[in-house]
Amino acid sequence: MKRMLLTLPERAIVRKDLRGVWHTKMVRVTVILVPLLLCFALPAFYLAIAWLAPEDQLATGDFVPFLPNGGEGMTARQMMVTLISQVLGPMFFLMIPLMVSTASAACSFVGEREHSTMETLLLAPVPLRRIFRAKVAACVLLALAAELVSLLAFSLVMAAGSLLFSSPFYFNPAWAVLVFLLAPAVTLFGVTFMVLVSGRSRSSMEAMQTSGYLVLPVILLFAGQFSGLFTLGPLLLLLVFAAVAAADAVLLSAASRAFTPEKLLKG
Amino acid sequence: MQAVLAQELSKEFSGVRALDSLTLSLPEGSVFGFLGPNGAGKTTTVKLLTGLLAPTGGRCAVLGLDPREQAERVHALCGVMTESARLYPQLSGLENLEFFGELCGMTRAAARARGGELLRRLGLGEAGKRAAGEYSTGMAQRLSLARALLARPRVLFLDEPTSGLDPESAQAVNALIGEQAGQEGVTVFLCTHQLRYAEDLCGCYGILDHGALLAQGDLAGLAKAAGRGSFAAFRLAQGETLPGCEGAGGWWRRPLACPEEMPALVRGAVAAGCSVYEARIETPTLEDVYFSFIGREEGGALL
Repeated sequence: MKRMLLTLPERAIVRKDLRGVWHTKMVRVTVILVPLLLCFALPAFYLAIAWLAPEDQLATGDFVPFLPNGGEGMTARQMMVTLISQVLGPMFFLMIPLMVSTASAACSFVGEREHSTMETLLLAPVPLRRIFRAKVAACVLLALAAELVSLLAFSLVMAAGSLLFSSPFYFNPAWAVLVFLLAPAVTLFGVTFMVLVSGRSRSSMEAMQTSGYLVLPVILLFAGQFSGLFTLGPLLLLLVFAAVAAADAVLLSAASRAFTPEKLLKG
Repeated sequence: MQAVLAQELSKEFSGVRALDSLTLSLPEGSVFGFLGPNGAGKTTTVKLLTGLLAPTGGRCAVLGLDPREQAERVHALCGVMTESARLYPQLSGLENLEFFGELCGMTRAAARARGGELLRRLGLGEAGKRAAGEYSTGMAQRLSLARALLARPRVLFLDEPTSGLDPESAQAVNALIGEQAGQEGVTVFLCTHQLRYAEDLCGCYGILDHGALLAQGDLAGLAKAAGRGSFAAFRLAQGETLPGCEGAGGWWRRPLACPEEMPALVRGAVAAGCSVYEARIETPTLEDVYFSFIGREEGGALL
């Protein structure tokens, strides 16, 4: 018999959750606007500046230390493209799975409490761990879909940059670690973190506000490069991934243990 | 097999005892009325029996299954309707039933067919396409009942199913519950304030107050335990009296030990020259019995 990743009831929960999440305006706005802004509009804006501004007026000297090989052999415009693709782009890109996963988890987990539907769900003949798995899967799926769309949009902008300024295409080993390892790990982190704080939030809006704290470490990680202490290459990103994955394992186990009728129906 | 079993079942919330050593045993096919004022512990009992709460003492079983250890198997056999279990506001009534039908292992088509049938039976056929968030309280209650009945449960837990309903909605809900209660092997555990309706529907009762089961049994047994006997009552012509009876409101009454006494009492009244317009046996109603126990518990005079 064909073995499915998710059982039929789990798939029903995933479908219902995706629909519920999409039905919430705040999450819909987050899922559409954040990727559009961070992975399309902002990079395209910087690219437009690089294209339109006179080359001698581009203040590229300030960020030469953060460019690979100190930007040796690059024109000012190529430096600008590299800065967008290798320094700012990864930071923007990583914020997307984090923001989408926390927003959808807030809606999925806290929303059930808010609408008093959690009790009804728990009365269904589906094991608790499967309900938990399906709800986590729905949030992860949505975040990964947003990540994919963001990647395509960002690639489009960067391909335009490569063509316009004859610079190499942006995707490199660091980006591979970011896209295939770190972003999924961060997605799971966002969901499990939100499940754990969901018990303390009275509304999904309140939960979403709490998730704002999670964006801070991402900004600090990438902005930290400007201090000159480190450069986020593939090895360092792998280390960050290992740390986030370990945190995921701990949070997932804690969130799964906290997913009991007593805790979910409390208050 | 016992459909519902509770042995010394207790639940405490932050040191406050919500349910105190409840012992209960209901055979399959029983229609049990669980009565008590607000805060008596009825909902807590339902939540313990359906595995939503863990007991702090004692044990319970539904159809021989532990609701905590085998929650999904218990849920597969039970339909549960509580006031606090709502439906998804963004989904239509029918979509809600389709979703819960799928969770019960039905195909989407089967769930749609069964859901549609239940919605029609509950007068929600047309409203089934509207978002559940737009439903009135009565419609939402009926939709919740439809969800509880979706998988043809063997045990039906209903917590105040008609609370807040208008008479028409209450009638539709009561009719469907009555139909379930009439089905062979279906056990109904009904928590209600509607004593008259419970009396019509249920075969046995439990009276709960402050978490303690005050009495359990059929109406006759409860009446006896409450000290509420039957009366022979006669309506006579104006101005007439009947020896050995107390008169009130145009009726003359005396305690009746058993129904077989009645024919002799009627003959005696006629022989005494009374014009008997009406004669009847007045048995205590569930309401009389209920207030006897609750009044006694509250320290009030026995009604």
